[in-house]
Amino acid sequence: MTDMPETSVSASPVATNVARGTRITEWLTLYSLSVLAALVLSAMLVETTGGSWRPVLSALIDGSVRAPGRWGETLGAATPLLLVALGTVISAKAGLVNIGQEGQLLIGSAMATYLGFLVGGSGAFSVIVVLLAGALGGALWAGIAGVLKYWRGVPEVLSTLLLVTIAGQAVAFGLRYDWLLLAPQANRGNRNQVSDQVAEGNRVPRVTVFGNEFPIAVFIAVALAVFVAWALARTVWGFRLRMLGRNPRAAQRAGVSQTRYGSMALLLSGAFAGFAGAAMLAGGGFAFGNYRLVPGFSANIGWTGLLVALVAREKALVAIPVAFVFAGLRTGSGFVGSTGVEGRITDVIQGLLVLALLIPPAVIFIRDRRRARSATTART
Amino acid sequence: MGASAPAPAVELTGITKKYGAVVACGDVDLTLHRGRIHGILGENGAGKSTLMKILIGLVLPDSGTIAVDGKRCTIHDPIDAARLGIGMVHQHFSLIDALTVWENVALGDAGRLDPQAVRSRIGEISDQYGLGIEPDARVGDLTAGLRQRVEIIKCLRRDPSIVVFDEPTSVLTPDESLQLFAALRHVVAAENRAVVLVSHKLDEVLASTDEITIMRQGRVVDRRPTAGTAARQLATAMVGREVSLRAERAALGVIAVDDVAHDETAEHEVDDSVAPALSIRDATVIGAGGVRLLDQLDLDVRPGEIVGVAGVEGNGQRALGDLLSSLVRLQSGTVMAGGQQVAAGRSGAMSRAGIAVIPEDRHDSGCVLDMTVAENLVLVNQRRVARRGVIDQAALNEFALRMIADFGIQCSGPDAPMWSLSGGNQQRVVLARELSDQPTVLVAAQPTRGLDVGAIEYMTERLRAAAQAGVAVLLISSELEEIIDIATRVVVIHRGRIVGEMAHHELDLERLGLLMGGAAA
Ligand SMILES: Nc1ncnc2c1ncn2[C@@H]1O[C@H](COP(=O)(O)OP(=O)(O)OP(=O)(O)O)[C@@H](O)[C@H]1O
Ligand SMILES: [Mg+2]
Repeated sequence: MTDMPETSVSASPVATNVARGTRITEWLTLYSLSVLAALVLSAMLVETTGGSWRPVLSALIDGSVRAPGRWGETLGAATPLLLVALGTVISAKAGLVNIGQEGQLLIGSAMATYLGFLVGGSGAFSVIVVLLAGALGGALWAGIAGVLKYWRGVPEVLSTLLLVTIAGQAVAFGLRYDWLLLAPQANRGNRNQVSDQVAEGNRVPRVTVFGNEFPIAVFIAVALAVFVAWALARTVWGFRLRMLGRNPRAAQRAGVSQTRYGSMALLLSGAFAGFAGAAMLAGGGFAFGNYRLVPGFSANIGWTGLLVALVAREKALVAIPVAFVFAGLRTGSGFVGSTGVEGRITDVIQGLLVLALLIPPAVIFIRDRRRARSATTART
Repeated sequence: MGASAPAPAVELTGITKKYGAVVACGDVDLTLHRGRIHGILGENGAGKSTLMKILIGLVLPDSGTIAVDGKRCTIHDPIDAARLGIGMVHQHFSLIDALTVWENVALGDAGRLDPQAVRSRIGEISDQYGLGIEPDARVGDLTAGLRQRVEIIKCLRRDPSIVVFDEPTSVLTPDESLQLFAALRHVVAAENRAVVLVSHKLDEVLASTDEITIMRQGRVVDRRPTAGTAARQLATAMVGREVSLRAERAALGVIAVDDVAHDETAEHEVDDSVAPALSIRDATVIGAGGVRLLDQLDLDVRPGEIVGVAGVEGNGQRALGDLLSSLVRLQSGTVMAGGQQVAAGRSGAMSRAGIAVIPEDRHDSGCVLDMTVAENLVLVNQRRVARRGVIDQAALNEFALRMIADFGIQCSGPDAPMWSLSGGNQQRVVLARELSDQPTVLVAAQPTRGLDVGAIEYMTERLRAAAQAGVAVLLISSELEEIIDIATRVVVIHRGRIVGEMAHHELDLERLGLLMGGAAA
């Protein structure tokens, strides 16, 4: 997040009136203060719920990076978060507010399950089929919102959100029939709605580094982050997408079709979420079931990924460390339970951290705004 | 300036503001007295707006002091400024289209809203300054001139005792601005206010100010009382060289129109038999609320012609520009460019057909403020700097540097964000981009708005040169004199229709005036 001051300049349209040096100090101070405040609040919360903050913090660090094998686990959790965030960055750059990643991810994982069994086979090819099936599912789900928007004018904020609920029901429905997603009788441990395990040959390979095991999807996600950052900054396509997001009328005149580029961005953003779902399904790892699709499989990864993108302020590369931090809170929470404090306290900590990371830009924005009264007047 | 006189309303001393290597203001002194109007002149990017923003608290100076009524003070934000009685009318609009006039005016008010009070206050000010503003009109439906007046009301409503106008009249007609300044002069004297006027219109400054400060590249280069000063002296001091004031005066609407009939424009008549490069037939555009913005408009522009569209603002000029920018659909009719029909309203169709546009409001569809200068220079056509879909940064940079040099764009470099440029320099970016694309048709809507005298001269030359090179130029302007100066043929637009037309050599001002007023010819 070292380039935050940079971000502020490009993200806030308001002319800045403080010298650059002062500005960086200002940002650093604000960020440190608000993160500190979030940590102090978290500590107080822990204390009031009967724990004490030191062991909780220690458990959090153990659970996320320090204990053997844990950072591998965290990397595994960071992967879908990063993928979801990348998709969000793409749609946000085009000026779209896609907030239905949770649903797109779920449909992606369902599609991966279904097509994975349909195609079967093993080896690199079928793994790729599974992952792409996920992307396809997510894109389809976001595509519905796209059709609604560009054909009927339904705002994507509403449609993507509503589609999250429908996705949950659709998958629950699919998990009731064995010709859809439900595992056949013989293989089922209990009568709950679970899918069959992803076949061995269809799983994303896992590697072990210094005793930390994680799926190689980590590398794919990081490579995609670099690619997305590059494509947005350096390709004609990214240029036009940014133009659309920043000034739709200028874009319209220049030949950037709102329908074409907008729906493309929406589809891609859904594809990333769906891909994340497939990677969770076929990648294993403690948090994401056991290569099985279950109701509620998406486990808030979509929502959290959205937050990652928000905190990274639409920067694909910044999303990498942010995703890791958020994943750490997730993996660390399992260890917090051992201190006698409810593990879900990390959800609250996460919320506080998100707020802490969003407050500084907001403060600066509002202050600039106040100085400028309105963005446009300050521009010349 | 007598020794016993009360302390000046505002005294700025040694004000310096740098943006990186750019010195926007360097050691500037400025004194404003009550009861006087102070004009500030200077080239594009000279630092005028920056100085004014320092006074209003939008920009904090790096060094220097401010004293208001003899008391030292620091102005951190416009709220501080308002407390000191300083108000400003900005160069660019900050209005919200979807709201009505009174809602826009009340925007940002603290406390309980009293719509009736706001409305009646608007009425009062409107009458006092002869602004003719209807409080319940929707801002989106207003012409640029009327919007500017809403901005003025927004500022004057708070009864500031020190008023800053940053190019308030760039979208007003000469008559309108005369009226505004007559009213202003009256209240300045009667109520002892201090007024600063930033303007590129020399004659306006000469007619309405008491003293003048001229800035160049961030510094004050001249300070003089208005009385006894001639426009030519001002222009020379501003630009640092002699400029052709003819073009400038024409663009700014002060030339004596009868002596233009025999200039070089007239010699360049175009053969009627040449096929038009742009041909609009029977074009009807329906706006929000079912208003006919264009009503069966017919218009031809041939290669080499400069067709001036004259008319009172709000008669369809904006819709015409939007139509040729692919921003609106046609209800009926056709647009043909180079003999091919163009799909109106389809994104990019017009620009692909070779129609370049300098839009009337550069911030609307002319540029993307959050992108860099270099990016804005290739907004319409990225192909020239791209290879297989990837933008070649070196090529982009090189192209931008060339344009920056060719068009004298003042900025910290190709990577400067567009919003950091001064108004006139933003306009130059738009001009540079549109001309560099080798269009077959060039639509220039109010192209000289916000440009300094030197740049107006340059713009006029470029438009003429483009026509000479075979481009069909369509000049949409609310400045009749500008049209008369450079157009080879003049058409008059009224209520969305072309109601009359005359070649340059048969110009008849009286008839033109009648046509513009809607009298059948
Ligand atoms: N926020 C900013 N960041 C960087 N440079 C800036 C910023 N604001 C202004 N500048 C630069 O400072 C110089 C002076 O700008 P300013 O807007 O004061 O010019 P101006 O005299 O008002 O010109 P114009 O007549 O074109 O409106 C310009 O070169 C501009 O690029
Ligand atoms: Mg200015």
